[in-house]
Amino acid sequence: MTAVVEVQELRKSYGKVERLHGITFEVQAGEILGFLGTNGAGKTTTIEILEGYRSRDGGRVSVLGIDPAHATRAWRNQIGLVLQECELDPVYSVRETVSMFARYFKRPTDIVATIEAVGLADKTDERVGHLSGGQKRRLDVALGLIGDPEVLFLDEPTTGLDPVARREMWVMIDGLRQAGKTIFLTTHYMDEAQHLADRIIILREGEIAAQGTPDELSRSLGYRTEVTFTPFEGMALDTLIASIGAPVTREDSLVRFATDSVQTDLELLLAWAKDQRAQLANLQVIRPSLDDIFVQLAGSPVGMRQSTHE
Amino acid sequence: MSDLSLATAQTRYALRGFMRDASALGFTAFFPVFLLLLFNAIFRGDTRFAGLHVPAASYYTASIVSYEIMLVSFSSLLIRVTTNRERGLLKRFRGTPMPSWVYLISEIGRTIVVVATTVTVLVAVGAVFYHVRISGHLLAGLVTYVVVGVTCFCAIALALSAVSPTADSASAFGPLAATILAFLSGVFIPVDIMPTWMLDLGKVFPLEHLARGLQTAFLIPGSTGITATNLAVMIAWGAAALLVAIRTFRWEPLASGGG
Repeated sequence: MTAVVEVQELRKSYGKVERLHGITFEVQAGEILGFLGTNGAGKTTTIEILEGYRSRDGGRVSVLGIDPAHATRAWRNQIGLVLQECELDPVYSVRETVSMFARYFKRPTDIVATIEAVGLADKTDERVGHLSGGQKRRLDVALGLIGDPEVLFLDEPTTGLDPVARREMWVMIDGLRQAGKTIFLTTHYMDEAQHLADRIIILREGEIAAQGTPDELSRSLGYRTEVTFTPFEGMALDTLIASIGAPVTREDSLVRFATDSVQTDLELLLAWAKDQRAQLANLQVIRPSLDDIFVQLAGSPVGMRQSTHE
Repeated sequence: MSDLSLATAQTRYALRGFMRDASALGFTAFFPVFLLLLFNAIFRGDTRFAGLHVPAASYYTASIVSYEIMLVSFSSLLIRVTTNRERGLLKRFRGTPMPSWVYLISEIGRTIVVVATTVTVLVAVGAVFYHVRISGHLLAGLVTYVVVGVTCFCAIALALSAVSPTADSASAFGPLAATILAFLSGVFIPVDIMPTWMLDLGKVFPLEHLARGLQTAFLIPGSTGITATNLAVMIAWGAAALLVAIRTFRWEPLASGGG
């Protein structure tokens, strides 16, 4: 595999505040990379540095072998952009808009085929001002694709879309995967990254908090698996705590603890219950969804959780 | 596709968009003709210009031509550029292989076509209804002032776009500035009845020189209206504005922050 995007120790400050603290990653050819983070994590700063819009304060960046800070016209011909916010002129039709953008590129792809690929075939002659939010967003994607780019940057393509429009966008991006496009996708939805991305990078406060395939992320972060049951009469929690060697909390109607070795701790729990001569009511083992992982990772202050980035 | 044909295509594209934008079209194309009819309905008879008695109708034809040049080149261009910047379109264009100058030239090309068309209509109305006599001198002066005036006011629009925060503020400021300048420059009120101090103040700005030059070309037989002072003031404003525009022009929305 060859790396289409290479980023090493990328740093960026706004005034005295450092926004990116030296992040390092790669995007391989033909891969869809999900770049995930909450608002303010540094996603847009990163993607705009890769797109050549923003300068950086440190580190090395290469996109298709070129430093985006020194973007050439030949390089721009190989880059497709879908910006986070771009309101196209409402007075032109879909076809007029796509045709005009096709003229900007040296080797544009087919206009009708591109409009079809983003699912706007029946809106070809509709004015942009009459399109729905989801349709406008898909037109943005068509403009990102019309130059037949080597790499496509999608900055939060589904933010603000209703659930149906989001699904339609996903289907469309899945189609691009079939076409073998390299895609750098930012999003703040874990389910979106999980659905679309081959690999996910979770960014938190300008640092990479975790990265891997969706499966690797679930596995490596499985330590947050939770065990819960209903408290019983005469329960001696201190012996359980001593047994499993981890904190156990008791709430109104729930006892819970977190574990990274589910089987061992469950055996210890059952042995303890037998010892207590108790039947555990409502025993549950809850494996966190990727969404929970994201909230844990992205929401916790820096330093609270270990980084699983190797 | 060569850059020149791309610039031509982009200009046609901009013109098509302009023709579909009802408010822009009404404001820059129909409004001045309406103003010409309105002023001539109010002020009848003669006025004094450069010591001569001249028809007020011809005076207003020249005045509204100068006003129209400013309205399209300055107000309309400022609104368009600011609007497209706030929409993120300028940023989007900048991310394509299209050279930046192609976009700017296409907007200026659109301005030239709109000015040429509307000025032709205004002069034709003046010739048919308002005693304007088409002569070689008039045409020489008209073409010179249209070229210098459009260049000057386009440069000022591009320079001011950097400090024009939103499309709304541009839509308020552009026409307001145009109206105030028009009063200061003897466009709406004949110079004969204007206070001297106001005319002196007006002389600082390019519209006074554009209006006076065109009024001379329209009203004084055998004169092109071209004077070194008029051209110098407009060129100085244009050149200064161009320098500012080159240093300060923004492609990204002003509120653009990092995420």
